[in-house]
Amino acid sequence: MGRHNPDAFPVFPPASALLCEKLLSQPMSADTDKEQLLFAAALPITDPGEREAFLKRASAADPHVCSRVVEMLAHHDQSDRFFSECITNLAIDEVDVLEVAELVSAKSVVGEMAGIRIGRYRLLRQLGEGGCGVVYLAEQEVPVRRRVAFKLIKLGMDTQNVIARFDTERQALAMMDHPNIAKVLDGGATESGRPYFVLELVQGVKITTYCDEEDLTAPQRLELLIQVCQAIQHAHQKGVIHRDIKPSNILVTMLDGRPVPKVIDFGIAKAIEGRLMDNPDLTMAGQVVGTPAYMSPEQAELSSLDVDTRSDIYSLGVLLYELLTGRTPFDQKELVQSGLDEMRRTLRDKEPQRPSTMLTGLTITDLAATAKHRQMEPPKLIKSLKGDLDWIVMKALEKERQRRYETANALAMDVRRYLNNEPVVARPPSPFYRLQKSIQRNKVIYASGLAVALTLIVGLEVSTSFFFKERQARMESEQAHANEMLLQKMVKARETVTEAGVLLSHGASAEADALVKAIPVELLSPSRESSDVFRQLGMWNLLQRKWKQAANRYIVLLQVNQVDKNDRTDQATHDLLFAAPILIEAGDIADYERIRLAALARLNTTTSVGAAEQLIKTSLLLPADDAILKQLEPLEGVVKKALASRDPAVNDRSQLAAWRSFALSLLEYRRGDFNAAVTELGVCSSYPGQSPACVAGTHLLLSMALRQLGKAEQADEELAEGRAMVQNRFQEKLESGNDVTGRIEGWIVTPILLHEAESLANTSTWLRTGDTK
Amino acid sequence: MPNFEAQHDVTRVLQSQSPEGGVSEELLPLVYKELRVLAASRMAREMGGQTLQPTALVHEAWLRLQSNSAPVWHNRAHFFGAASEAMRRILIERARRKLRLKRGNRAEHVSIDNVDVAQTLPDDRILLIDEALTRLGAADPELAQIVTLKFFGGLTNVEVAEALGVTERTIYNKWTFAKAWLLKSINEEWNGEA
Repeated sequence: MGRHNPDAFPVFPPASALLCEKLLSQPMSADTDKEQLLFAAALPITDPGEREAFLKRASAADPHVCSRVVEMLAHHDQSDRFFSECITNLAIDEVDVLEVAELVSAKSVVGEMAGIRIGRYRLLRQLGEGGCGVVYLAEQEVPVRRRVAFKLIKLGMDTQNVIARFDTERQALAMMDHPNIAKVLDGGATESGRPYFVLELVQGVKITTYCDEEDLTAPQRLELLIQVCQAIQHAHQKGVIHRDIKPSNILVTMLDGRPVPKVIDFGIAKAIEGRLMDNPDLTMAGQVVGTPAYMSPEQAELSSLDVDTRSDIYSLGVLLYELLTGRTPFDQKELVQSGLDEMRRTLRDKEPQRPSTMLTGLTITDLAATAKHRQMEPPKLIKSLKGDLDWIVMKALEKERQRRYETANALAMDVRRYLNNEPVVARPPSPFYRLQKSIQRNKVIYASGLAVALTLIVGLEVSTSFFFKERQARMESEQAHANEMLLQKMVKARETVTEAGVLLSHGASAEADALVKAIPVELLSPSRESSDVFRQLGMWNLLQRKWKQAANRYIVLLQVNQVDKNDRTDQATHDLLFAAPILIEAGDIADYERIRLAALARLNTTTSVGAAEQLIKTSLLLPADDAILKQLEPLEGVVKKALASRDPAVNDRSQLAAWRSFALSLLEYRRGDFNAAVTELGVCSSYPGQSPACVAGTHLLLSMALRQLGKAEQADEELAEGRAMVQNRFQEKLESGNDVTGRIEGWIVTPILLHEAESLANTSTWLRTGDTK
Repeated sequence: MPNFEAQHDVTRVLQSQSPEGGVSEELLPLVYKELRVLAASRMAREMGGQTLQPTALVHEAWLRLQSNSAPVWHNRAHFFGAASEAMRRILIERARRKLRLKRGNRAEHVSIDNVDVAQTLPDDRILLIDEALTRLGAADPELAQIVTLKFFGGLTNVEVAEALGVTERTIYNKWTFAKAWLLKSINEEWNGEA
């Protein structure tokens, strides 16, 4: 200040009045020139009388000008103060700059913020602009001086909610410490209410750009992906889901000459999510969710509450896809242009092309360019993707997350196995699976119904209604901590399962079994991988006659094999074939009763003859009430229809037919129609190729039916034959068996029937001897 | 450095200026932008909450632009003219905005019932000065320019004198006169309206 100090100027020498008169009489360009002259001459005259006399004389020359100068002189004293007071107020502050900037160019305001200080950070220059805001290079001065990336979120975001969501994640974010993760350092809001995030500064290039610029080969790209997976795995272990994995969030920097990918923006997608629900406008959705091409089907759903770590696995799959082929499975542009509903449908229902197929469909020039960036001939590139890499990508991209890799680590390990030329876990889908998928695609309701069901099963999110957003937000924050802990445990559980799977593949069953033993069953959600592990471990325990342990594994299996409702029913009922008798064998009758009701409720609409037969058998290992018998009627219809068929594909008139006939016999027996049971068992025995296990079962069931009919002698004979077969089998070492020796799942039913047949014999003997009639 | 491009634009526009020309319409927004960025960066360097004088900003803008393209800047008057005019816009917009926030949309029309001009709020006052300055511009552009440089641009008499190629005394005289002229004009308007 102090710039405007007129008094600082040396005292103005009084002008000669005569000179003034002379000047005023000359023609001048402007009135103000004359005025100025007169003003300047009169001003230094401090004596009022003298000044008046001077002006009087001047007035004679030009009265008009003179009168105005008189007025001006009257304003002079006041004018100094008037202006200097104003000048004090001309000083501007930060708020002014912001306000003015906003006023002048509201649309570009965010882009012109460089230089401003916000909190402890001083913005230096703009680094980039994204869908939801602008990233600046900024300098932090306290407590340490360092350069950071400062992400300023666009105007219009719901600041309070964003900050609240960020705060719930802050703790978890702070715990992340991994060389491949850029730390989130801080978050807050500017004075004008714009949310911001402060991130570790990563000076690198987008992973896809880096790979193409350096012409990395596919194996080199896979090595980078493995590092990214490890970063994501670390975050998942800390209970943090990224939710927006895409190339622009993975920057590659050089460290000691080696490329190191860094994942940025952890926790930010979570903080700014919810806009999709608030604003169904697609451009908004595109902006905030950012990148439909990398979004998992469950993230695209309206109720994006139900997002877990496996959504990140999907996005990693898209990333892998892009690293290999240079394209995303679905074109980002097409997705956005198709509209929100269509986009959801695509992500939910449309099978992406396999990477190798995608390349085959490219134009020759495009393919050549893609191959060149990978230092490969086009045909070789396609060939290198076919098979294992195709399946790895497709497994990560499964629509149903239960089918994806359980953890980022599992994906990394499979990629590693590929690089080491070891067999990979990922497998092509069976024709049966694909058929089921095509049926499923027509059931639009299904996906959302399943999502809700899974929400309830998993219990990850408590709120199921997003109409009460406020209540939900509150509950969310209350639950945030609990969920975080649960999520961490679930991730840990999945990891353990994956580890067990690897041990099993190396034949280390005992170690694998010890590993999964400690996992609380409620932490496991349905998945293919878990099913495989527990199925194998159930069998392993069974063959060692560790009934109790086997029963425990099968109980878990029956929970985790509920991958979906319609698909793989045969597998589900086949699992029951083991689980049911083993639970009974282990003395766990209550669990048997529970699982048979649950299985019936879930699967009794099956039209698969195999499933129907297995359900009937497993449901009737112990006597059943009328309700169960009633539920089995449709299944009986399915089996009878198959047995009546002359089509060899449906009815083999051999081993399978025998088992089906046996199931019908058992049903008749449980109904109390012992004659029908005996008749059906006759049919059963007539099939050539009847399995030894089935033969044993037939003897025992026949013994029971005959005894009920009062034919004790015949019953005793059948019992003796059956008993001999069962004892013989179980004296030997247990093994999974084959069609000739009888499979273990057939055999394990027989001791139960033997037990029942013997107690029936004893009761009858007691009745006979004790009966005085 | 922020706004490299803007600087090149300024250079280009200035090079196309004739030494006698007024402030170019094209130049104004560029300097204006530069000043705003500068204001913001200055603000960031000082401690939070402090205020800045326009003088400092205009000078810094000058130094930055000069050091980037020394040969072009033989005509300081143009630059300072543009800078001061830009600063004038910034300040006027700021004042209008503040008044709008305070009074709704009636900021343009200061309502003054039996209130002396001397009692007006600083924001009102700046607007009154701005309007009077426009009137002065019509009567005597040179005087208006000096006022802009001194009042909005915050230059000293010496600086204005150097920029315009006249003596310091001339500036002192003209500035003194202009202030009286403006206040008289403001009072006339004020009383006419009231």
